[in-house]
Amino acid sequence: MRERLQENERLEGAQAVRLIARALRYVRPFRGGFGIKLALLIGSFVPMLLLPWPTKVLIDQVIGGIPFGEQPTPFPFFVQPFIDAAADLPRTELLFWTIAVQSILLVAIGAFGISSRERNDASDRGIPQGWDTATRTENEANAGFSLVGGLLGLIDYRFTMRLSQKLNHHYRSQLFARIQSLPMTSLDDERIGDAVYRVMYDTTSITQTCYRLILTPIAAPLYILLTVWVMGLVYGWQSPILYMGLGFLFVALVPTLPFAGLQRRYSARSRRAGSTTTSSLEESLSNVLAVQSLNGEERERARFGSDSEDSFRQYRLKLFVEILTFLAAAVFGTGLVIGVLFHIGDAIIAGHQSPGDFAVLMSFFVSIAAASTDLGSLWIRLQNEATGLNRVFFLMDATSEDDSSGSASLPPVRERLEMQEVGFAYEDGEPTLHDVSFEARVGQVLALVGPAGAGKTTLASLVPRFVVPRSGRVLLDGHDVAHVSLQSLRAQVAFVFQETVLFDATIEENIRLGNPLASDVEVRRAARIAGADEFIEALPDGYRTELGRAGGKLSVGQKQRLSIARALVRDAPILILDEPTSALDPDTERRLVAALREASRTRIVIVIAHRLSTIREADQILFLEQGAITERGNHASLMALPDGRYRRHVEMQTRGAD
Amino acid sequence: MAIVEGAAGRTDPVSRYRDFARLGGGGRSDSLGFRLILQLLLRCLPLLGPVKWPLIGLLVAGTLLVAAIAVPGINIVNVFWNGVLEGHALSDFQARMIFLPPGEFAAVGSLGGPERRIVLRHLVWGVTGLTFLVAPLFIALAYLRIWILQRVNQQLRMRMIEQLQSLSLRFHAEQRVGDSIYRMFQDSSMVTQLIQVLLLSPLENVSRLLFSIGIVVLWDPRLALMLLIAWPPLLFVGHRLARPMRAGFRRAREANSALTSRIQETLAGLKVIKAYGAEESERRRFETASLSAFDAAYEARNRFVGYKVIVFWCVGLTLILGIGWATGLTADDASLFGKRFFIAMGFASLNAGTWNLGFYNNFKDRFGDATTASNTLMDLWGTLQDVATGLDRTFEMLDLEPEVENAPGAVPMPPLSRDIAYVDVTFGYLQDRPILEGVDLRVGAGSMLAIVGPTGSGKSTLMSLLLRLYDPVRGRIEIDGRDIREFTLDSLRGSIAIALQENILFGTTVRENIRYAVPDASDEEVRAAARVACADEFIEALPAGYDTLLGERGTKLSSGQRQRLSIARAVIKNAPILVLDEPTASLDAATEHRVLENLRRWGAGRVIFLITHRLSTIRRAGAIAVIRAGRVVETGSHEVLMAREDGEYRRLVEAEIGQADRALRATVVP
Repeated sequence: MRERLQENERLEGAQAVRLIARALRYVRPFRGGFGIKLALLIGSFVPMLLLPWPTKVLIDQVIGGIPFGEQPTPFPFFVQPFIDAAADLPRTELLFWTIAVQSILLVAIGAFGISSRERNDASDRGIPQGWDTATRTENEANAGFSLVGGLLGLIDYRFTMRLSQKLNHHYRSQLFARIQSLPMTSLDDERIGDAVYRVMYDTTSITQTCYRLILTPIAAPLYILLTVWVMGLVYGWQSPILYMGLGFLFVALVPTLPFAGLQRRYSARSRRAGSTTTSSLEESLSNVLAVQSLNGEERERARFGSDSEDSFRQYRLKLFVEILTFLAAAVFGTGLVIGVLFHIGDAIIAGHQSPGDFAVLMSFFVSIAAASTDLGSLWIRLQNEATGLNRVFFLMDATSEDDSSGSASLPPVRERLEMQEVGFAYEDGEPTLHDVSFEARVGQVLALVGPAGAGKTTLASLVPRFVVPRSGRVLLDGHDVAHVSLQSLRAQVAFVFQETVLFDATIEENIRLGNPLASDVEVRRAARIAGADEFIEALPDGYRTELGRAGGKLSVGQKQRLSIARALVRDAPILILDEPTSALDPDTERRLVAALREASRTRIVIVIAHRLSTIREADQILFLEQGAITERGNHASLMALPDGRYRRHVEMQTRGAD
Repeated sequence: MAIVEGAAGRTDPVSRYRDFARLGGGGRSDSLGFRLILQLLLRCLPLLGPVKWPLIGLLVAGTLLVAAIAVPGINIVNVFWNGVLEGHALSDFQARMIFLPPGEFAAVGSLGGPERRIVLRHLVWGVTGLTFLVAPLFIALAYLRIWILQRVNQQLRMRMIEQLQSLSLRFHAEQRVGDSIYRMFQDSSMVTQLIQVLLLSPLENVSRLLFSIGIVVLWDPRLALMLLIAWPPLLFVGHRLARPMRAGFRRAREANSALTSRIQETLAGLKVIKAYGAEESERRRFETASLSAFDAAYEARNRFVGYKVIVFWCVGLTLILGIGWATGLTADDASLFGKRFFIAMGFASLNAGTWNLGFYNNFKDRFGDATTASNTLMDLWGTLQDVATGLDRTFEMLDLEPEVENAPGAVPMPPLSRDIAYVDVTFGYLQDRPILEGVDLRVGAGSMLAIVGPTGSGKSTLMSLLLRLYDPVRGRIEIDGRDIREFTLDSLRGSIAIALQENILFGTTVRENIRYAVPDASDEEVRAAARVACADEFIEALPAGYDTLLGERGTKLSSGQRQRLSIARAVIKNAPILVLDEPTASLDAATEHRVLENLRRWGAGRVIFLITHRLSTIRRAGAIAVIRAGRVVETGSHEVLMAREDGEYRRLVEAEIGQADRALRATVVP
């Protein structure tokens, strides 16, 4: 079963592309939001083009004393009006006004002088902090970023964060709903921690992918074009600075290509190690009773310890691969920077440019280089997301319970349940049921009896389609349960499981889960029949007592009675109880059996039990052995078989009484 | 464990929070003063113990590296602007630094075009060489830092799981699993931030700030003063906004941990949700939780980002004004304050010592560095609010005192020789609602005591007390006449094997599940135990036999099979005390008889407690104790109890077999 829900770990480049393309399709509902974000992003380019000029004025005019007219290079047209206005100002006033302009830029976009391109991204706080993937992505879920700071940045940031959150919420909810609709047999309990990890930490990959793939390819070229245009205006179109800046596109792309596979591998390992850690923690906390009473603390601690250690190690290795990738790009990038320094230096030495131009050109170069790097490193950055996407889509694609939603709804069951030559086998091929046929009518109690492992629970699970038969048919009033909608089918079945499951809510809410519309009186009545009323009333808050986690404060018998009450309040035509009385004392059991008798007048009651006092009351008993019905009839007729298996089973049980 | 022992709030046994807990609650007590920060740091110091040397190494190496490149760094900028761009002569030191003869480049009036080109090339190649030299060192240091911080985080996680395991079941009955997961992963990860935020970063930034201020003084003391003037408004902002930020961060953490719990709980109960078609309403609950988590995070981050913007305004303004002033000074060729120093150090040639482009740009770098450091320090303060609330939630858990602990001077439990006795034992989760009241019981070694009674009468609790999952409120349990609280928990629990009512199996192989309590048991021992529990047969029939993987709670096994595994698990422990808590309820009669027969043979010389409703099981016990509403109402053998006319036991028995017998007699054909 473990193998069944294990996605392919080795992710090829082509698969990664497919995953990413698929993630993009999820952005449709958020087209508008992305449009606005894009507009904000592009809007923030404009003030950034203004940034370098005040610095140039400070260096050339205020310090260097070069008059505006004698500049070796012109100012761009959008700066020229300011220059004209300032042309005749004495130095001190020019200084004052330049400072004033810078201050305005500071308040508006939180930057001045050389554009820093420092991302206002709260999500990156933890990169070198010794976290693991989970702690890191916890931040990503709320990621907001902006190229600029100041007021504009604040607005941009808030908008982006909201958008991130909406996206993440959307995908989390989708994945959650998908997990809920997985077939009951495919989500082992041991996968709970893993599923938590996927919903909480892997879904952010979709958001990240959408951001990267939508914003960068539009924004980065646009920004490069704008900058190039301004540079062309001022320094002529052939400036090698331009090509060197664009060179970063290749520097970021080509040397990092060989690392893509490596990054995917380590990212996948890191995520897997993280989800294993979550699972082992979840398991040992959920089973704390067993751990403490079996003295297993040491063992659980060691398991968690090594899992957690591994999760850290894998994340560390992943970071190391990232550093290596970055280094590969940096080696080539350094070459470009050297070229730029030589070029500008020589131009200034030759008198073609002023020292102030160095500040401007450097700032342009850094901007173009950064935008090119963004674009070029798009692919390598997406690798980490691809592994997250793989984990998310894997669950989204896992076969959910087959509910052909077009199928008809099941009309209220009034007559009978029928199984025709039903066979069932688990995934590993071991047959659990073969050739089971029987009929049960409304008004009857049907008991399934037999040794442990005979297939009783599996047989009962076929009715609400928790499992689907491999052969044969399950019919309710002649309708095959395979062809009716799940919702309408399950609405007519109340199932009491062997293991009781209670939720962290009040007692009342736990009972009402069976029927949200039940009145207080009905809840109470169900509780009374299940023998739960007495102990509930004795609790400080009665029916409104908060159960706490999984009803930890109740005894097993009490929990069992609550889950019986939950089934009784459901008022469904089919009531299935899987060993409902095993933890009940004889008094309670007697009352319950009488209540079942009563309930069966309008229902089909299926009960799996070992206790004679429970099965004796059944109208029909099916005796199962190794997945097949070996005897059937009522108690009297079965006991009448001189060498009957059922008889031997019963005698064994009561032998002590004689 | 705790370095700082709090004194407040000790009344409630479960929530004995330390006084600095509840940060982010927003009340008057919610203030993160210097003392509390110090306490946080002090509490985290022990975690640094094992990584002490790597950490010191990191600090020393980092400082050395930064210091080593500081001097060349200043000179590189200076040479570029003064030498290359302006054509001024270099100093001796600068010339030697980039491998140029001082005679041609330093001891001259100014540099011509060709010389400037040479300087440029030497400079650029020199810088490149330096970069390639130190880059690997920086990478190595970064890796080391990650490793150290992860180690610290791992230690805190281990401490937390230890704590979680030692907390009593009473705690776990209330605590949500998802919340523990969140605290374990998200909240505890803040410890690495703490080191960063309280130790590494402030150390780095304060020294950068002081270093820069010291340098700026050499340019002009008035400019250094400007850097200091920026601080009062910064401190004011930091003080005013700290509490709202903290409250926001706390709510965000709580909401996210509630969301984690929501997911975990839904998935754990998925079966029932599906059976009752409650998917839709669960999804709605999930969405509500998810939205409120996002809302809380939004609010918290908004406050944080708003704070950052305001801080940046203050700092940026200082920077603009400072640079503007320096621009004016440079334009006026003003004299440098530390003129002699610069000349002496070789930064300037003899005739200089005034502001020029080189010094201007050096100044810009230093001044910028100082403002950046101020900005970073203030950002750290904002981050610290989050870190502190996260750690607060971590310590909240670590500070809960386990109700059940080894008593001081506890000794290992000696082998059981005489008996086990409950003396006037009273217990209840709530003070006024006892589950057990004044229980007196005695069982001798070599006998089997059956405990019967209606559901919820306290039978399982009686056994939990023996295991010290809880301690009695009053009275005591004695083994061979000694209070079990005198024994160490490990040795006590090691002497008791238990087959639980809820058959919890772990997500590993059948074999590992059986030897869960005795990890070093041999395969043969596993098999022998399985045979006692009549589990051998069905295990062998599984696809991979003893190596078959089970889902966590044994999803694929029937409940009868799981019960047999848990009996095997108890048997293999070979402990003097065996507790069977309704171990056979789901077994068919034939198997049950075989299991009990096996157990009786196996159980010679031990004490066996048997909790059950089944008559056939009860009769095998030498003694029977009947419990009703938390009190022992009858004790004695089956015969003795059956002889009592209106005995409780007799009534129970008749309720069960009376009917069964009648049923049997009525239907069996003679």
